[in-house]
Amino acid sequence: MTAQVLAPKERKVAQRRIALTGNHAVALAVKMCRPEVIAAYPITPQTPVVERLAEYVNNGELDAEYIPVESEHSAMSAVIGASAMGARTFTETASQGLGHMYENLPIAVGLRLPIVMGMAVRTYSAPINVWGDYSDVMSMRELGWIIYLTQTAQEAFDTVIQAYRVAEDSRVHLPVVVAYDGFWTSHVLQPLEVPEDEEEVMRFAPITRSWVKLDVDRPVSIGAVGTPEWYWEIRWQAVEALRGSIKVIEEVDEEFGKVFGRSYGLAVPYRLENAELAIVTYGSIFGLVKKAVDRLRAEGVRAGALRLRVIRPWPRDLLRKLLGHVDKVVVIDRAINHGGPLYGPMAVELEATLARPVYNVLATVGMRAIDTDMIYEGALKAYRGQWVPDEVYTIGLRGGP
Amino acid sequence: MRIETVWLGRGGQGIVTATYIIANAAILDGFYAMANPEFGAERRGAPVKAFLTISKEPFDDQEPVKTPDVVVVFDDKLIEPMRFAIDAAKPGGYVIVNTAKKPEEVKRLVGRNDVYLVVLDAIDIARRHVKLDVPNGPLAGAFAKVMGFPRLESIRQAFENQLGKAVEENFAATKEAYETAVVIPPERVDPTAKPRGIISTTSAFLTGPYELVGWAEVNKAGAVYPGTSLPYTTGGWRIDKPVIDHSKCIMCRKCWLYCPDDAVIEAWKEIEGPRGRKIRMKAIEFDYNYCKGCGICADVCPTGAIQMVREI
Ligand code: SF4
Ligand code: SF4
Repeated sequence: MTAQVLAPKERKVAQRRIALTGNHAVALAVKMCRPEVIAAYPITPQTPVVERLAEYVNNGELDAEYIPVESEHSAMSAVIGASAMGARTFTETASQGLGHMYENLPIAVGLRLPIVMGMAVRTYSAPINVWGDYSDVMSMRELGWIIYLTQTAQEAFDTVIQAYRVAEDSRVHLPVVVAYDGFWTSHVLQPLEVPEDEEEVMRFAPITRSWVKLDVDRPVSIGAVGTPEWYWEIRWQAVEALRGSIKVIEEVDEEFGKVFGRSYGLAVPYRLENAELAIVTYGSIFGLVKKAVDRLRAEGVRAGALRLRVIRPWPRDLLRKLLGHVDKVVVIDRAINHGGPLYGPMAVELEATLARPVYNVLATVGMRAIDTDMIYEGALKAYRGQWVPDEVYTIGLRGGP
Repeated sequence: MRIETVWLGRGGQGIVTATYIIANAAILDGFYAMANPEFGAERRGAPVKAFLTISKEPFDDQEPVKTPDVVVVFDDKLIEPMRFAIDAAKPGGYVIVNTAKKPEEVKRLVGRNDVYLVVLDAIDIARRHVKLDVPNGPLAGAFAKVMGFPRLESIRQAFENQLGKAVEENFAATKEAYETAVVIPPERVDPTAKPRGIISTTSAFLTGPYELVGWAEVNKAGAVYPGTSLPYTTGGWRIDKPVIDHSKCIMCRKCWLYCPDDAVIEAWKEIEGPRGRKIRMKAIEFDYNYCKGCGICADVCPTGAIQMVREI
């Protein structure tokens, strides 16, 4: 499953292979990162994460304050407060829960708090749909959070650990969200490599407490008013921190590879060398996309694929490098950019990045099932000119374009 | 014709309302007008700046006024700190000042001989008609007098539209100011001369004192470290100041207890006693740097030792 990253790396840390669902893998990673305050409200499909964390705290495996808040708004408020006190924090949400905590999300950015949040992505109501697509996390793009989109339980586990290291780096000090597919990752049981010695995780990502925090020995007011003379400058610091975090994200990922044997990069290319067509997507469906690429290659189509992993900060230069030579870029988006210039959020951003039209395809909306054949057929339509760039196409929508 | 004006005052004095009243009345008279106040700390007493532009032609630009035709100063203590605005007034323009001071003294304070100087005691007028320290009605009246518009009847209607209450009281204040404001014409106007400065687009001067620095030097996350509000001499907000008659004071210290600003102080005082002996004794004084002139001390004093005296 993570074939592209596992094999060749030399690893320093002894690990064992267990089997866990994505949710429980995330909970385990969080436990190993030893957050001091956890505040979360359960919502499908992340509920098993917060339940498992509550168990860890209850049975003494994790020494943390667990605040069973009455809503996501309170969850984000509580971790903002705790983080401002200097605590390592964790929360998790999805969909409507994210919507409910929304007003606090930009506050975490402006206060430069290294909060780590998990997200088992889920679409937005209505109609009520508890299943996975990326509508929720995509609505966070403008806020200044670092955003990781992961593919597997293993990657979600690894990325949570990386996230703490990145967030608390004194060059960054920004909140991070680690997203993974609701159900297709959160509830899928997969193999998972975990360190034999949990302390290895804390050695890799020790709590830095380097951020601006409330401290009785060094009093400070946090969250004061920012009049028009000051607001932009303070916000610009967060803009620059996010821009600069790309280097830290890469560094941390590389070092994680050296210690744990797995690294992912900002984006994950697949058979892109000499490709004339590339399928770009994100999340759990990348396994299917790779199979479709293999089939296209077998039939003589020079196809490749790319998985977006870090979308904030946007790895513009890398994407230009990886996709610059590719003639046809087919972007399979898993969230709808309602009424936008293109109907897929990542299609818009890739078009802006590559400065040329891309193929705009929507799939898995509301967790509509997809398989390799459907992806293969879509790619073929683009390859043969039945699809044209800049028009919206769908894979799996009955009667859809 | 396009008249650009800037109004300078303090939170709570009705600056914004004054510009709304004039704009509303001007619109009733068929002009195009825009009153765009700059909202700052939303705090009583904090300096406030508002722009008011009136034109015969339609316009939609909210251009910050840099060299106004008219500068209205709600408080003569603002003349010095806001001199940049007075300097920015166009030669041949108008400076309208609310003050209890004599016109010649105001002329000396303003220090310009190439503008029309308009002097009125808007506080006194407002106190008599509206029973409040809001000089906006009288200043609107003074504005209408020197500019020739808006019509008084339109101002009455504007009070009706904007306030919906105390219309007659406010209008009476406007009318009195219209009739009594003193206008000192310029000694000479060089129509080709440029104003001596411009009003900057930042409002830092309204919320300072501090230095504006680039984003990289601003405290991270906007954190505010312990400092002091000592440089914020809030005494500048005063309209009346407390004055004590020590012969009536019985040192009960009620004024000290009730002053919300810690501005009542006990100071050692040397007095001459019987047979010329020098005696040191404690006496009530005021810290005028921070006394906001609320009048509570005068209110609670059981012997009437404290009087509130007009300061602006
Ligand atoms: S007028 Fe108000 S602020 Fe000034 S000394 Fe009296 S009570 Fe204090
Ligand atoms: S309240 Fe009046 S009498 Fe009492 S100390 Fe103050 S000034 Fe003196």
